[in-house]
Amino acid sequence: MVLIQLVNGLMEGMTLFLIASGLTLIFGVTRIINFAHGSFYMLGAFLTYELVPLIAPGTLWGFFVAVAASAAAVSALGVLFETTVLRRIYGKDGILQLIVTVALVLIIRDLVRMTWGANSVSVQMPDALMGALVVGDTYFPLFPIAIFAAGLIVVLAMIWVIYFTRAGILLRAGTDDRGMVALLGVNEKLIFTAVFAAGAFLAGLAGGLSAPYGEVNYLLDTTIIVSAFIVCVIGGLGNLYGALAGALVVGVTKAIGVMYFPRLSMVLIFLIMAAVLIARSMGRQGGPAR
Amino acid sequence: MLEKNKKTVVAAVLAALATSAGAQDGPVKVGFAADLTGACAALSEDGLNGAKIAAEEINAAGGILGRPVELIVRDTQTKPDEGAKVARDLITKDRIDVLTGVCSSAVMLAESAVSAELKVPFYAAIGSTQRANIELYQPYFWQVQASATMEAYAAAEYVAKKPEWKKISALGSDYEWGHTSVAAFTERLKELRPDIAFADPIYAKVGETAMAPYITATLAQQPDAVFAPLFGPSLGATLKQGQGFGFFQKTNLVTLMTVDTLQSQGASMPADNVYGIARAPFFALEQSPEVTAFIETYRAAYGEYPTDWAINAYDGLHFYAAVAEKAGTVEADAIIAALPQVSFDGLREKGLTIRALDGQMNAPVYVGKAAKVEGYDFPILTEVEKFEGAPLMPAEDLILQARGAAR
Repeated sequence: MVLIQLVNGLMEGMTLFLIASGLTLIFGVTRIINFAHGSFYMLGAFLTYELVPLIAPGTLWGFFVAVAASAAAVSALGVLFETTVLRRIYGKDGILQLIVTVALVLIIRDLVRMTWGANSVSVQMPDALMGALVVGDTYFPLFPIAIFAAGLIVVLAMIWVIYFTRAGILLRAGTDDRGMVALLGVNEKLIFTAVFAAGAFLAGLAGGLSAPYGEVNYLLDTTIIVSAFIVCVIGGLGNLYGALAGALVVGVTKAIGVMYFPRLSMVLIFLIMAAVLIARSMGRQGGPAR
Repeated sequence: MLEKNKKTVVAAVLAALATSAGAQDGPVKVGFAADLTGACAALSEDGLNGAKIAAEEINAAGGILGRPVELIVRDTQTKPDEGAKVARDLITKDRIDVLTGVCSSAVMLAESAVSAELKVPFYAAIGSTQRANIELYQPYFWQVQASATMEAYAAAEYVAKKPEWKKISALGSDYEWGHTSVAAFTERLKELRPDIAFADPIYAKVGETAMAPYITATLAQQPDAVFAPLFGPSLGATLKQGQGFGFFQKTNLVTLMTVDTLQSQGASMPADNVYGIARAPFFALEQSPEVTAFIETYRAAYGEYPTDWAINAYDGLHFYAAVAEKAGTVEADAIIAALPQVSFDGLREKGLTIRALDGQMNAPVYVGKAAKVEGYDFPILTEVEKFEGAPLMPAEDLILQARGAAR
């Protein structure tokens, strides 16, 4: 029992991490809290809903191709938004940034509702991932395990890019001292756009990957952004490892909490969040991403 | 000059008087204060679509008391305070004759309070909390579908007929509806089947979609069936995620399963062991000419099958028209007096009436087994059993007792 709940928790945590990591990356570099991140997630889910039947319905590769294509489309939208709108408000008043990103949330939400309606839609799960791994009397569901694995691959790729490539060096440099990077002749704007593209891609990816497992509707944006913020608060906004730790803590706490304190499992997460806030006003480790 | 101004004022006043007197011959105004955005949007939109068709039909047949019906639609954003504000606006500014449209229980109670204060009739066709009929009842209110308690009773009656089910768990949404449904279901089933054992109920927060931990915890209780007052995203997530845990091999799920849920599940619906409670499943209604005509009209207008919400909102407006015809006026107190005297033949069945004590209609509840059937591209309920409304309605003395306790 505890083992399955632990697995459940880790799986939910991985999806949360994919979303929160994008949020935290964007904040780390651009210092903008992107409220529209949940909307990117939702768009990823809806695009996957559209693409799965077009590519190769029911197959494993068809699903992952559909998800990747959706994430790429969301990323392109993110780039459009960054270059046309966000670029003008870097370093401006926080309230202005809030208004702009929240406006995007409302626009996307209304467009999604006009396009796909108010009812939930259902994304077909690949046949190969439908069932469960049965060990004795215990069922381990295949789909979330596969999503966990896919998420893990993305995490490893992300760590590799950030810590072992030139792009990663520039990204970390941009986080530490934007002015210095610009002085050294690096195209600062390009870094910002690239980070935003990557963040939007991660959100779209998370949305697409988890689409078959839950309900896809136009309210998904705010549902997910709240969880992502909780993760970021626990992990420290702008801190990638913090986001990973925060996401897994939230997932596992919830799952284990349901078993032992069914009435308190949600409260537990907020208690942890409050404790973190009290312990360190900046978050778990504080400061920007390193 | 002064004289001329005076004349203008007098003329304006006269004109205003003439318009207000003329209101008696103007349209009958139906205030549709609906949850068109927010968590209830999908249901409210369906309800509005059903009501629109009813209004067109009433108008084509000559209106109510010879006056056309006009729907005045406002959005409450699924927020109680906004709902109260919108209801107040509709009553004081638009001078509506009747208020309806609401979906969320909380918004419904807020609008009901405004209806009581300003003495304008108010009926619910989607939201169904029994608190509006019992503890918070006010004389200008009625509802045209089974209350949440009646649905839970119907579920208990259905479960009681399965002798092989001996241990029951409950998995509900963690708010008023989830809790009262579990309590009513347990109470009725204990009476019917003293041999059944009940596990501790488990509750998930409203709107939760990561249901895996709750599913695991429920399965650990090893129940023969799980009564699950969940709806929307939480229900959809349970149906999908449960399959990975062998939920539908190990146990049975008894839950709310309206047409919109069946449609959104599509191919993801578990093949077996899902039982649904419904309010007005179009495929299980007696296929009278009225029902088939309505289904065709609805499909032609909106390109989809009518959901339970659409059918009940349609019935609700036709019922109001019947009551107004009986009363001979749309004046509030006359409507309320005529309310219990009307026996209404709706799409769901004939002989629907409102009980004066609590404004509850003897509306039926349907329970059946979800299955894929030839002819529909979504699963429907099969082996549907229809439970008559009257025996499900809470006894009058219990209602009076509950009201006494609430005071």
